[in-house]
Amino acid sequence: MRARRWLSLPPLLAAAALTCWALPSSAAAHAVATHRLAPAAVRAAPACNPVASSLRPTGPPRVTPGSFMARIRARGRLIAGVSQSTYPFGFYNPLHGSTEGFDIDIVHAIAKAIFGNPNKVEFKAISDDQRIPEVQSGAVDIVAHTMTINCDRLQKVDFSTVYFDAGQQVLVLKNSRAKSLADLGGKKVCATAGSTSIANIKAASSHPIPVPVTNFTDCLVLLQQGDVAAISTDNDILAGLATQDPWTKIVGPVFTSEPYGLAISKQHADFVQFVNAVLQQMRSDGQWAADYRHWVGTPVPAPPPARYKA
Amino acid sequence: MTAVGDPPRPAPDTRPAPGPRPDIDQFLRARTTPAKLRLLLVGLVVLCLVWGALAAWVVSQRAAGANNAVSSSETLSLDGQQIYRALSDADATAAAGFLSGGLEPINGTPRYRADIARAAAHLASATAAAGHTPAARDLATLSAGLPVYTGEVQTARADNRLGLPLGAAYLREASGLMRGTLLPAARNISAEADAQLAGASGQATGLPLALVLLVAAVIVGYVLYRAQRWLLRRTHRRLNVGLVVASVAGVISLLWLAIALTVARGDLLQARDHGSTPVAALAQADIAALRARADESLTLIDAQGDDSFQADYLAIQHRLGPGPGTLLTNAARAAQGSPGGGSALAATTAATAWYKAHKTVRALDNNGQHAQAVRLVTTQGPGHSSTQFAHLDGSLTSAIAADQAVFRAHAVAGRNAFTGLEIGVIVLALIMAAGCARGLTTRLAEYR
Repeated sequence: MRARRWLSLPPLLAAAALTCWALPSSAAAHAVATHRLAPAAVRAAPACNPVASSLRPTGPPRVTPGSFMARIRARGRLIAGVSQSTYPFGFYNPLHGSTEGFDIDIVHAIAKAIFGNPNKVEFKAISDDQRIPEVQSGAVDIVAHTMTINCDRLQKVDFSTVYFDAGQQVLVLKNSRAKSLADLGGKKVCATAGSTSIANIKAASSHPIPVPVTNFTDCLVLLQQGDVAAISTDNDILAGLATQDPWTKIVGPVFTSEPYGLAISKQHADFVQFVNAVLQQMRSDGQWAADYRHWVGTPVPAPPPARYKA
Repeated sequence: MTAVGDPPRPAPDTRPAPGPRPDIDQFLRARTTPAKLRLLLVGLVVLCLVWGALAAWVVSQRAAGANNAVSSSETLSLDGQQIYRALSDADATAAAGFLSGGLEPINGTPRYRADIARAAAHLASATAAAGHTPAARDLATLSAGLPVYTGEVQTARADNRLGLPLGAAYLREASGLMRGTLLPAARNISAEADAQLAGASGQATGLPLALVLLVAAVIVGYVLYRAQRWLLRRTHRRLNVGLVVASVAGVISLLWLAIALTVARGDLLQARDHGSTPVAALAQADIAALRARADESLTLIDAQGDDSFQADYLAIQHRLGPGPGTLLTNAARAAQGSPGGGSALAATTAATAWYKAHKTVRALDNNGQHAQAVRLVTTQGPGHSSTQFAHLDGSLTSAIAADQAVFRAHAVAGRNAFTGLEIGVIVLALIMAAGCARGLTTRLAEYR
């Protein structure tokens, strides 16, 4: 699987600068760690530590009376805002007629923790720029949608602990000479509207022309039709696109750090803690690794460790 | 002046005219009888010929209008509707194929293909009928866009077979082209053709030209009458055969014109009021209903994550009615008393039932029962949205077909009323001219 390409990047220097969590010895995990170093925060945002911003769970996941989880249970289903077009994280599988992916499996695990039944979920397809409004309005209980935790977004919603580490790269056609955004000055580069990726394209010093679309598969359509020169977003999403079109390749260095979290309304601190407890379970009982192997491929790195505000 | 006889008075034109209006009687009195006869001869022949030319021109105008209404405009409007229907169904069918999950339903592909073939066939006949009318531009848009659309749907299908989510993106792209460019062009064709039809029908039934003709007929009749009375007094002959023949020919041509124009006008107005007007209103409603139906399907496969299709559905429901000023109510009113009236009325009831079924679909989908919602939209059954829509669409199409038949029958009858009339009035005018010439030359000969 193409995803391996980015996971086997040569480890960069100061991986150790990244704090206290124990690094496993695999090269992939080193690569993951290096993302943290890249200066993603070109945008002006209040000082915060996006990867250590979540609420510590009080114990294993439990649905306590009067909690938000109890209300979800009373309703009969968990409502999750997901992507239907981001292979392999959240996508509509036309052969199965169902929504599947790494993000989707995490939602199933949360539903199982609430109901004892992983299928009591309503998946609501939302676009990137709807993620925060949908959480804020309460239209969805949770967003599992390759969503980067950053200080800007932390002002508006709460996030779970980091469940996946990604970083931005560039996807071009195999016959392209471009090696990175630096070679794409004045060229059209595609990403979804409302994503951190499109903001990073806009901020690139070579001044590529950002082309915002609704879904990343729309970017691939444009690339195949010759309407854009490249797609630039998180490497795991690019790997998913490259799987769908073998005539593409991922090029250049990982130039941002994109830690993924599940977005939850600021009003539901109890649910944030509950979800963190579920994630913690998945990390320790091997479920996270199994999902990773199934959707992303091998080698499987250690899961991003849980870090909390306090 | 080289008058044959002695002028009893000096010629009036040797002195300045006495007033602003030279007196014709005075002028005629100044002439000898043969001179007057010669003048009358030329005048009557010219008058008959002018009358013939005018009548033939009016008839040709009206016949051309009737002919345009029956042949090109009507064909074009019908083709536009059929293109819209076929393309809209192709779009919804392609979308439904993705809805079902697994392989597309086995009847999906042939239906899609038949839709595209139907659209292409009507596109060809519409292009032939359109000529250089404004619809030609829209037809060019359709001709250029249709292969792009089918190409994108094929790509979507190929990706879908591989289980790739990219397929859905291609389908959305194709659907965007269809709804953003192709369907509006198809809708324009019908609208332009309907405007053309209204123009042609107006040309064939308008009153001003008929009034001009009537005034001309009164003048010709009066002049012929005065000429004969004058001859009678002057020559003391009972009958002048030539002038009588001219008068009879004149009366025949007037009667023929009056009957043909009245019959044609009645038929064409009937064709308009019970044919093309209700058909245009019904077709508008049907096009809106088809679009809402595609919205219903697309909302369910919507991987876009917004509710733009459902919003569009609700907007169309609002326009479609029933209710005062809505498309369905307008269509039912327009079709009242026509053979399609019953079906048009049934369509308003069917629409309400469909909205109810749609509400059920949305409620299911919004409560996490997507599969159940899809079943109501893609399969037939009592209370299923697809069945209710079929009722609405069926009522509208049968109303359209019924009123279309009314239009054709009356418009063809109206057009046929002009058969032979143009040649007829020309021949009769020539007979009139010949009669006048003959009648007056016989009298003139008596002075030799």
